[in-house]
Amino acid sequence: MSELISTAQSPWVDPHLHVWGWEIPVYLFLGGWTAGIMVLCGWALWKGQRDERPHATFSLASSGLFILAFAAISLGMLALFLDLEHKLFVWRLYVTFEPASPMSWGAWILILVYPVLLMGILLDPPLTLTNRVPQLVPLLKKLADNLTLRRITGLLAIGTGVALGIYTGILLSALGARPLWSSAILGPLFLFSGLSAAAAFAHWASPDQPEREYLAKIDNQFLASELAIVLLFLIGLTTSTEAHLQAAQLFLGGAYTAVFWVGVVGLGIVLPLIIQSLAVTHRVPHTPLAPVLVILGGLALRFVIVSAGQISHWSRL
Amino acid sequence: MNAPLYKFGAFGDETSLVVAFVIGIGFGWFLERAGFGNARKLMAQFYLTDMAVFKVMFTAVVTAMLGVTYLAWAGWLDLSLVYYVPTFWVTAIVGGLLMGVGFVIGGYCPGTSVVSMATGRLDGLVYVGGFTAGTLGFALGYPAFRDLLAMGDLGVLTLPEVTGVSWGIVAFAVVLMAVGGFAGATWVERWMTAKADPAARAD
Amino acid sequence: MASLTPTEPAVTTEEHAFEPRPYANPYLAGIGLGLVLLSAFVFMGRGLGASGAFNSTIAWLLSLVAPGYAASNEFLARYLDVPGHPLKAWLVFEVLGVFAGAVLSGVLAKRMSRTVEKGPRASVTLRLGFAFLGGFLMAFGAALGRGCTSGQALTGGAILNAGSWIFMMCFFGGAYGAAWFVRRQWR
Repeated sequence: MSELISTAQSPWVDPHLHVWGWEIPVYLFLGGWTAGIMVLCGWALWKGQRDERPHATFSLASSGLFILAFAAISLGMLALFLDLEHKLFVWRLYVTFEPASPMSWGAWILILVYPVLLMGILLDPPLTLTNRVPQLVPLLKKLADNLTLRRITGLLAIGTGVALGIYTGILLSALGARPLWSSAILGPLFLFSGLSAAAAFAHWASPDQPEREYLAKIDNQFLASELAIVLLFLIGLTTSTEAHLQAAQLFLGGAYTAVFWVGVVGLGIVLPLIIQSLAVTHRVPHTPLAPVLVILGGLALRFVIVSAGQISHWSRL
Repeated sequence: MNAPLYKFGAFGDETSLVVAFVIGIGFGWFLERAGFGNARKLMAQFYLTDMAVFKVMFTAVVTAMLGVTYLAWAGWLDLSLVYYVPTFWVTAIVGGLLMGVGFVIGGYCPGTSVVSMATGRLDGLVYVGGFTAGTLGFALGYPAFRDLLAMGDLGVLTLPEVTGVSWGIVAFAVVLMAVGGFAGATWVERWMTAKADPAARAD
Repeated sequence: MASLTPTEPAVTTEEHAFEPRPYANPYLAGIGLGLVLLSAFVFMGRGLGASGAFNSTIAWLLSLVAPGYAASNEFLARYLDVPGHPLKAWLVFEVLGVFAGAVLSGVLAKRMSRTVEKGPRASVTLRLGFAFLGGFLMAFGAALGRGCTSGQALTGGAILNAGSWIFMMCFFGGAYGAAWFVRRQWR
C-alpha cells in the first residue's frame, strides 16, 4: 500500500488489482479485537472493579487481557507493516497529520492506544514486572489504589477502544473507489464484531464464574447487534445506487454469497448465538466451541469484506 | 416436472452452497440424534447388542426411496437428472470390504467422524486426521490404483435394470427386506440381552 | 489429560448439573435422515456425502504446497479444475453443515463431552491409534469405492443404484468379518 495516496495511479482511484492479501484483514481483525478488549476492560475499570489475586489474570479488572491486547495490536501493526510498499517511509505518517487520510487518523489513534494499554497493565502489574523491579512496587500500589486514576484510565480505554474499532471500518469506507466499502455502517459493524470477539475470548478465558456468565450475556447482545448491522449494511447497499446494488449482489447470489452466509453469518454469528443464548439461561452447559466460532467468524468477516470489496468497482457507469 | 430445483435453474452455484450447508445441518442433526457421533453406539451393531446402525440406515434408505419413487411417479422429480455414481462392480466390492474393515477398526465413517469431532470426541478428531492422511496417501499413490479403479465398469446401472423387473417391484422388495430386517434385528438384540443377563431370560 | 477418561461424569457448571439425554428412537432418526436425503435429491439432484469434502481439502492443501504436482495428479486435478476456489465445493459446505448440525443437536441434548469413545478394557492409546488406522484405511476404501457410507450406501441405496447396493453389502460383510479381530477395542 502506498503511504501517501494522491495520484490517479493509486489503485484506489483505478481499481484493477487485488492489492491486499492476508495482511490487512488480519490487521483489521486484531485491531478490532484490541478495541473490544479496551472497551470491556475500560468499563470494568470505570465501574471500580478490582482483581485481588496477586498475579495477573484474564478477568476484566486484571491486566492479562490488556497484555494480550498489547501483543495483538503489535502483531496487527506488524502485519500492516509487512503490507506497506515503502517500509522505510513509515515515519512520514507521523510528521504530518492529514485530516482527510484515514491512514493518518489510524496512525494517531494507535499512538493513543499504546499508552492507554500500558496504563491498564500498570494498574494490576503482573508478577514478572513487580518481581523484577521491586523498587517500583510502592509507586504501582499507589497508582492502583487511586480510584480516580482507575476511572480516568477506564474512560480513556473506552474512548480509544471505540475510536480504534470504528477506525478499522472507516479505513475501508473512506476508500470511495470501492462501492462495497463506501458505507458508513462498516465502522459500527467492525466495532461490534471486535466487541463480540473480545467478549467471546474474555468469556472463555475469565477465571470468575459470575463474570463469565455476564460476559456471555453481553457477547450475545453484541452478536445480535452485529447481525442487525449486517442486515442494515446489506439493505443500505441494495437501496442505494446501481454500483452499490452490484456490490451487494456479491453477497446475494454473487461470488461471496456462500462464504458470507455460511462462514460469517451462520457459523460465526448465528450458531454461537444460539448456543450461548441457551447456555446463559442454564438450559445447556457452556461449550468453548461457541467463543472459538465467534472469533473465527470475526476473522472471516474481515477477510470477506476486504476481499469482496476489492472485486466491487464503479466501472461501466 | 420441476425438480431437481437446482438442475432447473431455481438457484445458482453460489446459492447451492448455502443449500448444501442447510442440508448438511439436517444431516448432522439426525446423525447426532441417532447416536452416530459415538463409536460405541456404532460398533454395537457388529457385536449384535444394538442394531441402531442398521435400523437408522435402512429407515433412511426406505424413506428417501419411497419419497423419490412417489415424486417421480407424480411427475415432480426427474430421476434422469439425479446423479448416479457409475457402477464398477470390482471397486464396489474392494472399496466396500475395505470400508467395512476400516469401520470396525476406526469406529466411524467419514460423515459420522465429523459428528463425533463436533461433539468433542477426541477419537473422532484423530479419525478425521487418519482419513485426511489416507486421502493424501491415496492421491500420492494414485498411479498404482489406476488400473484397479477402472475394473468392472458397468456404467450407470440401477437395480431394476439388473433384475429386469420394474422400479416399483424392486422398491417394494426393499421395503419388505427392511421390515423383515427390523424384526430380525430387534429379535437379535433381545437374544443378546438375554444371553448377557441370564436372569432376564428366567422370567 | 485427565479429561480423557472414558466415563466422564455429567457436565457441570457451578450451580447446574446436566445429564446427557438418551439417543433418539432409531426409526424416527432414520425417517428424519431419509427426509434430509430426499430434500437433497429434490433441491440438488444429488445425494449426501462426506469423503468428497476430504478430497477437496487435500487437493487444496496440496495445491498450496506443490501447485504443479497437485494439478498434474489425476486423482486431485478434478477437485482443482473448478471455476472458483477448490474449497467452494458442494460437499465441503455440506460437511460444514454436518458440523453445525451435530453441534446444535449435541448442545441441546447435553451430549457435548471431551472424551474418547472406546470399550471398557481398551486403553486410550490403543483406541486413538486404531481410530487413525481405521480412518487411513477407509480413505482408500472410499477412494476405490467411489464414495463413502453416506455417498454410496445411503444415497445410492435410496435411488436403487446397483453399485451402491454391492458396496453396502460388502461394507457390512467386511465390518462383521473384521469385528471379531478388534473386539478388544470395543468390548
